[in-house]
Amino acid sequence: MKLCITSAGKDIESKIDERFGRSPYFLFVDTDTMDFKAVPNTAETAGRGAGIRAVQLIVDNEADAVLTGVVGPNAFEALKAAKVNVYEGASELDTVKNAVEGFKKGDFKEVSCPAEGHGSGRGRGRGGFRGGR
Amino acid sequence: MTERDTIGINDVIAAMNETPVSIPIIGITGGKGGVGKSTVAVNLAEAFVQKGYKVSLVDADVDAPDDHLLLNIPLKNSEDVVITQPLFIDDKCTRCRRCITVCRVNALFQPKNHIPVLIGDCNGCEACILVCPSDAIARNKKLVGKTFMSKNKNLKLFTGELIPGIEESSFVVNALKERVFKEAGESDIIIIDTSPGAHCNVMNALKGSDHAYAVTEPTPLGAHDLERILKLLSIMQIKANIILNRSDLPGAREKIQSVAENYNVEISGEIAMDDLLVRSYVKGIPVVRMYPGAKSSQAIIKLSQKIAAMHLS
Repeated sequence: MKLCITSAGKDIESKIDERFGRSPYFLFVDTDTMDFKAVPNTAETAGRGAGIRAVQLIVDNEADAVLTGVVGPNAFEALKAAKVNVYEGASELDTVKNAVEGFKKGDFKEVSCPAEGHGSGRGRGRGGFRGGR
Repeated sequence: MTERDTIGINDVIAAMNETPVSIPIIGITGGKGGVGKSTVAVNLAEAFVQKGYKVSLVDADVDAPDDHLLLNIPLKNSEDVVITQPLFIDDKCTRCRRCITVCRVNALFQPKNHIPVLIGDCNGCEACILVCPSDAIARNKKLVGKTFMSKNKNLKLFTGELIPGIEESSFVVNALKERVFKEAGESDIIIIDTSPGAHCNVMNALKGSDHAYAVTEPTPLGAHDLERILKLLSIMQIKANIILNRSDLPGAREKIQSVAENYNVEISGEIAMDDLLVRSYVKGIPVVRMYPGAKSSQAIIKLSQKIAAMHLS
């Protein structure tokens, strides 16, 4: 399966970035062969809607599932619409490689609803600015 | 040289301040919240009405529109303020994705081989509709607020009200002003009461003002926020004056004076603390009507005379 992991760097020994929409890289890892491809996250600096834009990139790279720290409600809805499975709980103390190994052992649970406490229809606004109105 | 090359920032600002009416427009603003903007606006309006003028008072604080409470006038003649939301037409959509690329708030998403879906917070800018080459996006509507017009003899009160939790309050302010320009009719003067702050909403409310009064108080907070609003007014090239409310508060009067000097803006009115003003405020009756002899009433009447001499003669 093709697993997309949010990563601080572009190789498999890089640390995880727990942020979904604003991680610097996405690593697309073939969980059978451990072949991978790093794609820079063009949504990282988006003022608003980084999560949704990030999902577009992930879907265009044909990932079957996403492994990250936590996914915001908008991004979650987009991932669901694209039928991409979501796994949360990856830690930035871990490397991408270790996380994939853990994933294969079943360390991460599939998430069926967006993380609690974020309100509805909005991420937590980690963007540097709220886009001019 | 083409016409485009010769357009400078001053032309842009002048165009921004253009209005379809020739009635004098007075902005009541002030940066800080709770300094008495609405009290001043409402009483100024009442003072003009007492002098026989026809007044349009505009409550542009769409997050907390309270002028109708201060005047004890019910909100009437409601009109919806709606913004566009894209509605995708499957058999026309070519999946070209231009709409997704152009969306500044990243609200659109396209699952594989599917038409785009709206997931994020669309601000109704319509850029997606503009770039769609196949006419595949229809206009759906989303209610973001309401405007009201309540008439009471020579006073027309225009009120904008945003639905709580909706982000795009500027749409309500702009719709409110459009309505004012359409319905102010034979008014002699338009008084616009803005929200606190120095943001888009306040800018949109003040756009086109002939003169703006920044209400403040002699406190460090008042001075700080006064400076911000004077900076905004200077950028917008709107003539500014200061109204010092609670002027006898023992405090930072010299700070206000120093801001006034830095921005070369005069303090054109002072309203001292007045128990009668508080009593009228609690009753929802303008002090100039309830206690015309009160010192606060006299200060506001004097200000209205200054404004009349400048803009209504």
